[in-house]
Amino acid sequence: MLNKLLDGLLNPPPPKFHGVMGIWYYVDDAADAVKMLREAGHKNLNVFSPVPHHEIEHALEQGPSLVRWVTAVGGFLGATGGFALCYYSISSWPLVIGGKELFSLPPFTVIGYESMILIAGLSNLLGMLALARLPQLKQVAPYDPRFQEDRIGIWVPCDAATAARLESMMKGHGAEEVQVHA
Amino acid sequence: MSTTVKNLAMDGVNDVADRPLDQKTLNSDVMSMISLPGKVWWTIFILDLVVLGVALALVRNLIVHGWGVSGFMRPVMWAVDITNFVFWVGIAHCGTLVSAVLFLFRSHFRRAVYRLAEAMTVFGVLTAAMFPAIHTGRPWFDYWLFPYPNQRQLWTNVRSPLEWDVFAVNTYLTVSSIFFLVGLIPDVAACRDRAKHPIMKLLYTVISFGWTGANYQWKHFYGAYLFFAALATPLVFSVHSVVSWDFAMAQTPGWHSTLFAPYFVAGAIFSGVGMVIFLLVIVRKAYNMQHIVTIDHMEKLAKLVLLTSCMVGYSYLTEFFMAWYGPNKAERDVFWFRATGHYWWAFWIMFSCNVVFPMLLWMKSFRRNMTALLVLSIFVNIGMWFERFVIIVTSLTRSLNPANWFYYKISITECALIAGSFAWFFMFFLIFLRVLPSFSIAEIKETLPMPKRRGH
Repeated sequence: MLNKLLDGLLNPPPPKFHGVMGIWYYVDDAADAVKMLREAGHKNLNVFSPVPHHEIEHALEQGPSLVRWVTAVGGFLGATGGFALCYYSISSWPLVIGGKELFSLPPFTVIGYESMILIAGLSNLLGMLALARLPQLKQVAPYDPRFQEDRIGIWVPCDAATAARLESMMKGHGAEEVQVHA
Repeated sequence: MSTTVKNLAMDGVNDVADRPLDQKTLNSDVMSMISLPGKVWWTIFILDLVVLGVALALVRNLIVHGWGVSGFMRPVMWAVDITNFVFWVGIAHCGTLVSAVLFLFRSHFRRAVYRLAEAMTVFGVLTAAMFPAIHTGRPWFDYWLFPYPNQRQLWTNVRSPLEWDVFAVNTYLTVSSIFFLVGLIPDVAACRDRAKHPIMKLLYTVISFGWTGANYQWKHFYGAYLFFAALATPLVFSVHSVVSWDFAMAQTPGWHSTLFAPYFVAGAIFSGVGMVIFLLVIVRKAYNMQHIVTIDHMEKLAKLVLLTSCMVGYSYLTEFFMAWYGPNKAERDVFWFRATGHYWWAFWIMFSCNVVFPMLLWMKSFRRNMTALLVLSIFVNIGMWFERFVIIVTSLTRSLNPANWFYYKISITECALIAGSFAWFFMFFLIFLRVLPSFSIAEIKETLPMPKRRGH
């Protein structure tokens, strides 16, 4: 019963896709294919690989990730929050301990600094998840477990009329397998 | 497209020659560790649980009847509890050093060992965090350690180093856990695709967040990973500095020194790398992973132990020099007491294990001998536990007022706490070995030559 339930949860019926999935073994062939497909106007393609490849990143003309801005904002808010907590908590109950200054920057810096790292780390995580569209509950392309091993997949969403042309283009650029989802 | 261990950007000889390693076999080899546990695993695990159970029974006794059941008496109120806390925080530091600091320095040897070190970090902080929680004596009020709005407008004392510790250790636990789990995502996705058991498949599906290896995922994954490393690096240094300030901010002789922060950080990395070596020597042998964690990797870790041992030794000598050269008589007396007083044996265990024995690592043959490294790593950890014991106990038993002087003896409850802390740590570690990939598939794969039609 439990196994059946889990099976239904983990293996839902695959959604209907429209496009072409090419599978490559050689990295340079895959990078050339990405370049060629983008030049042919298919800018909305997705590449799946077990590790990131610089050649493919260049071919995709990917800029740096925007996650750094999310992290920077988180760090700024964390540091501000840490210092604010110190000032607020002391001003709400000004208790002199050991004859020391009430408002003293060195101890506040420790709290502000640790808060900065904590909130920046959490923002970094949330930024990454949001930008990488994780958790991915709905498949955006047909998935193949070989993409976690040693194969590279290039998915181009398209209509049935374009699919045949794309299939021959991919085969001409070293794809060892092409799957058409019309 | 297969390569051997010699192609892993490493030099020197390996103890498993020419075992093929390519992208596909790497997945299989690492995932072969995740299988139904055998008799040996179960025996160790049950023994571990027995030790943990005994320790928990004594901790229950301690919580119900109070700290009087242990050997804690004024003025030695920190003793074994805080010794254990500092020891386990120190153990935890190596993981972040290997995963974050060496990532920023682009040290490729880290790729083969960092997952295990990171797991050790998370479990180490989990173990360390228990001790201040128990030490409060009334753990059900531990939430008072955190600043939260309350009716009486009572806030924590942000000017106390003990409160800095709450912020530092909790930040460290959170950031190192996130770093560990984020790094696992691509590897767990590979496990998910191969998992046969539905519960394991569900677990991997949840932890992998539906990872597919798409280009937009890798782009933001590595974008974020760089920042995790950049955030974790200053965190490593700050956390143990903050821990050291628990001591250095006090005016107790033997503690009140600006040397403490770098001295503690070096000591933490020293003991942490020692523990990583201990775990790796056993794991690589038990699971036949010598082609993934090569002798060259182990040698590089041994060099880190040697470096930090020299730093720790230099700190010991500086402490004695400053006590002799400085104007403070109480400081001089405490250091003389450390080396020749009631706890001379603890001091000399510390000194020989941390400074004398590691000097054997100057010999290449010693660095490349796994049995020798295993034995040395045990000595290093014994030595580092005694370092914290010596710092805490010798200073507290000989504080400024001779009327407070005291001879502290360790009790059976405290011995159980020490054993229990190891059992708690190894319980997590043993489960980790069986459930999650112990080596980073994705990062090791990046060191393999990629298949290219036009050559490399």
